[in-house]
Amino acid sequence: MLLPTFDYYRPAGLPEALSLLAEMGEDARPLAGGTDLLVNLKLKKAAPKALLDLGSLEELKGNRTDDGKVSLGALNTASRLASGGPEVPGLLSLGAGALGSPQVRNRATLGGNLVTARPAADICLPLLALGATAVLAGPQGEREVPLDGYFQGPGYTVKQPGEILTRVLVGAPRPGVGGGYQKLGLRQAMEIALVNVAVYLELEGDGETVALARVALGAVAPVPMLSPGAAQALQGTPAGEKIFTEAAEAAAADAKPIDDHRGSAAYRRDMVRTLTLRALRQALSQAQGSKEARS
Amino acid sequence: MSGNFEVIGSRAARKDAPNKSTGKAQYIEDIKFPGELAGALLQSPHAHAKILNIDTSKAQALPGVVAVITARDVPAVKYGVSPARYDENLFAVDRVRYVGDEIAAVAAEDLTTAQKAVELIEVEYEPLPVLLSVDQATAEGAPWIHEEFPDNICAQVEQEFGDVEAAFADCDLVQEGSFFSKRQDGAFIEPNQCVALMGHDGVLTLHSSTQVPHYVQRTVAMVTGLNMSQVRVVKPYVGGGFGPKASATPIDLSASFLAMKTGRPVRMAYTREQVFLFSRARHGFIHKMKIGAKKDGTLMALDHQATLEGGAYSSFGIATVYYAGSLLGGPYKLPNMRYHGLRVFTNKPACGAQRGHGGVIARALFEQQLDIIAEKLGMDPIELRLKNMMETGDVTCNDLAMSSLGMRECIEAVKNGSGWDEKKGKLPPGKGIGMACGFFVSGAGYPIYRSETYHCTIMIKADEDGGGVTVYTASAEIGQGSDTAMAMIAAEAVGIPYEQVRIKSGDTDFGIDLGAYSSRTTLMTGHATKEAGDNLKAMILEVLAQELGIGQERLDIKNGLVKISGAPVDFTAIRTGYIKEHRGWQDQPQGDELTFREAARLAYLRRGTLVATGKYKPPVLGGKYKGAAVGTSPAYGCSAQVAEVSVDFETGQIKVERITDAHDCGQAVNLTSVEAQMQGSVSMGLGEALFEEVKFDAQGRILNASLGEYHIPTVMDMPETKCIVVESGEPNGPFGAKEVGEGAIMPTIPAILNAVRNATGLVLEETPLTPERVYLALKRHKGA
Repeated sequence: MLLPTFDYYRPAGLPEALSLLAEMGEDARPLAGGTDLLVNLKLKKAAPKALLDLGSLEELKGNRTDDGKVSLGALNTASRLASGGPEVPGLLSLGAGALGSPQVRNRATLGGNLVTARPAADICLPLLALGATAVLAGPQGEREVPLDGYFQGPGYTVKQPGEILTRVLVGAPRPGVGGGYQKLGLRQAMEIALVNVAVYLELEGDGETVALARVALGAVAPVPMLSPGAAQALQGTPAGEKIFTEAAEAAAADAKPIDDHRGSAAYRRDMVRTLTLRALRQALSQAQGSKEARS
Repeated sequence: MSGNFEVIGSRAARKDAPNKSTGKAQYIEDIKFPGELAGALLQSPHAHAKILNIDTSKAQALPGVVAVITARDVPAVKYGVSPARYDENLFAVDRVRYVGDEIAAVAAEDLTTAQKAVELIEVEYEPLPVLLSVDQATAEGAPWIHEEFPDNICAQVEQEFGDVEAAFADCDLVQEGSFFSKRQDGAFIEPNQCVALMGHDGVLTLHSSTQVPHYVQRTVAMVTGLNMSQVRVVKPYVGGGFGPKASATPIDLSASFLAMKTGRPVRMAYTREQVFLFSRARHGFIHKMKIGAKKDGTLMALDHQATLEGGAYSSFGIATVYYAGSLLGGPYKLPNMRYHGLRVFTNKPACGAQRGHGGVIARALFEQQLDIIAEKLGMDPIELRLKNMMETGDVTCNDLAMSSLGMRECIEAVKNGSGWDEKKGKLPPGKGIGMACGFFVSGAGYPIYRSETYHCTIMIKADEDGGGVTVYTASAEIGQGSDTAMAMIAAEAVGIPYEQVRIKSGDTDFGIDLGAYSSRTTLMTGHATKEAGDNLKAMILEVLAQELGIGQERLDIKNGLVKISGAPVDFTAIRTGYIKEHRGWQDQPQGDELTFREAARLAYLRRGTLVATGKYKPPVLGGKYKGAAVGTSPAYGCSAQVAEVSVDFETGQIKVERITDAHDCGQAVNLTSVEAQMQGSVSMGLGEALFEEVKFDAQGRILNASLGEYHIPTVMDMPETKCIVVESGEPNGPFGAKEVGEGAIMPTIPAILNAVRNATGLVLEETPLTPERVYLALKRHKGA
């Protein structure tokens, strides 16, 4: 398993990276943690002429809170996200902590997970449920793209070849919201989900009525998907087992699983129901929990 | 039972621990030779095809390519594992039989060039029908994968011991069941790798990551046409084997030919994907069993059918199909047993030997059925097992002699250790507890080829200054701890501290050793080591007795000191001589006992360098019937396990929470190593029970040839494991020792199956127990 030959660039800043990318077009691929790209190079699934190491781009690093929004740098590693901190939504920590193994989490990045865009990606699901927005920098400047609509297919997104995903924007953690993440696999680590579900739940001031809910489903469609049925079922209703069961049913109906060697479509659909229910319970208990509860 | 030992039974630090923990241990990857060439293999992309033409001209012309070889360039010698089934050519002659079948090899200045050259070899194929399952391979009119094996039958076994039909007629209960398992991969951490060098002295040296230097040496000699003295196989540190590394590989042979052809060192290595393609790992098994019992639980008869999906070549398969039957002869008294075994060729990678060779799934079904019988008869599963358990001295209906059998002690240990009586029948819904037993050979009674050869030979040389000894052995340390075990046995036998023993192993220049397979090393190489150690001590004491003018029977050596029984003896002359010889040294011998150092030095001064040898081959073992050679062993290890599980009814996920494991290893040589083998067996059995399955597409290509997609347990999946070592004292073992490496895996799968059944009421008939499989079974069960 040898890496093919390629040119290696390590641009010092975003403008240089973008101009290199513009110059080389599809011959160049940005490199962050490399947990997917380097593997694919060895498997000859990708053969770019150049790799652009994003490791020096300060624009892609760090996290800041501004005006009720958190801006997360694309180079946040999964380990960093999993260990939490005041800016990191709890739901995102849950997903990031379920990714791969400690070694993989030390390399894998938030931006990489979003750009690789696998249907079961452990970081994509929570971000989709959180209603996050991706910031894409390109030759014409920056644009903001909501994740609902960002994913186009397995490994495909609206990001253009000349663009670099720099940051992700999410609502700042606050009381009255909760998150749930459920992942089903064969084993407890180093696992691609058979099905995974991320739930974001926002309660009204009464601590009971659902103000807003998003249910993201993984490994049951070509892209990480939101269940409109589940969101609709939950909106404006009193949170609890009855409505959660209905929402789980709606999520199962919205899922579009296929048969593959990892599992059958019928089983996956049933598991969407089970995991959605569990994630909703988890999100509710977090939302109703301590005053410090964070999404 | 722990005898009166100084070293045996302790937790001595492993000889390889400092090197491995500091990264200094040298694996093939770490050993570089000047002028190395890189080799690469061309492997078939088709599962079954005729080869119409091979054109290597473009590959030959690529700058940097030094040699390209195909079937035309090597002798037409067929090889394999069992001489009765030599069915492999190094390179395909006119047909490829699985995706991965070897067609050509290239040696080039670097690996990139070698791989590029492989891509430039043009092969014209004519696809043939692809047979991927037992059903397809045995269907009416199916093409034959090998012309010499009609109907794709690789091996067939028919055995009957006692009178099974008559016994069934007398039974109060006849229980029937079946089971279906999947192919596994060995998933050892170090992919196979080798470097071959042709010396100016005409000796080919092959450094290989193997479990069996001797068999590799033999196969390389046979296929290349060199004689055994011209082939030396050296095994450095090896990252695990588990069975699939127990024969010569196509890279061992290709690198040898390429080194002979180019005169330069040639390195070849499998990628992880190629490890999956070469396989030689656990077969997929289909078992059917009918078991008859009396009302009181007495087992009367077993009628057993096994069908093995074997892949494209025989490999170990002929032994596997025999083991699948013979290993049910014990540990229960079973007077009547009939076995029909069948191994079928398919267009998949060849299966071979893997930990618990052939017996694991047969054991799983049998132990599952025992639980059902116990339930039907209103007995506790432990009670049923104890009622039928053999005792030390018993012989099975197929002539396996249980010269020691601590099965009862194992059962009592796991019963008490797990809190069985407090838990069985009293657990909340979704929780279950189950137990199972098993046993395994302590070394195959016969070599793979028919021979009266010793199975192992040992040399122990005393340092000329008397400071210690060095053990020379061709045995294979592959991570299991055999170097440590042999050093401990040598220390005990010679009577010196463990630290004074050095060991050099894994080199065919050191003698004969059949290698690390069939759980043979501790008992067999251990015997030879003990004999050599005993002999060395006797040589030293003989000289000492003469010098002191006393009878040798009054002398012994223990823990580095000479023990003299009877009246005090004046050894001042020996000590004075030693001290004079070492004037100015800081560590002169002192105290009122003569030391090993003084005695060994004296013996050297009188006799020259002291080298003692030892050897072992098993005595003639019972069984005259066809196939008796598979399963007979000088001794049998045995074990019992209790598994505790929880089952998630909504997802089908099983969590194995706790395993209580007792194994009778006769006498632990190194207690820590014994426990490590037990834990490793639990891990491997757990993986086979819950996760592991090599999957293929309709063209015979592997879908999950990586450790990302082929799931072995991670540390997060391991249950809390309590290991209890039982020591029954094996009369045929060195210091009473016998196996632990493979017997320990036998109960794991059935204990889990029985625990899952206890939690759910489900009789599951297919592994791995994936969440989906369990969920669907639960759904059917609920609907029924």
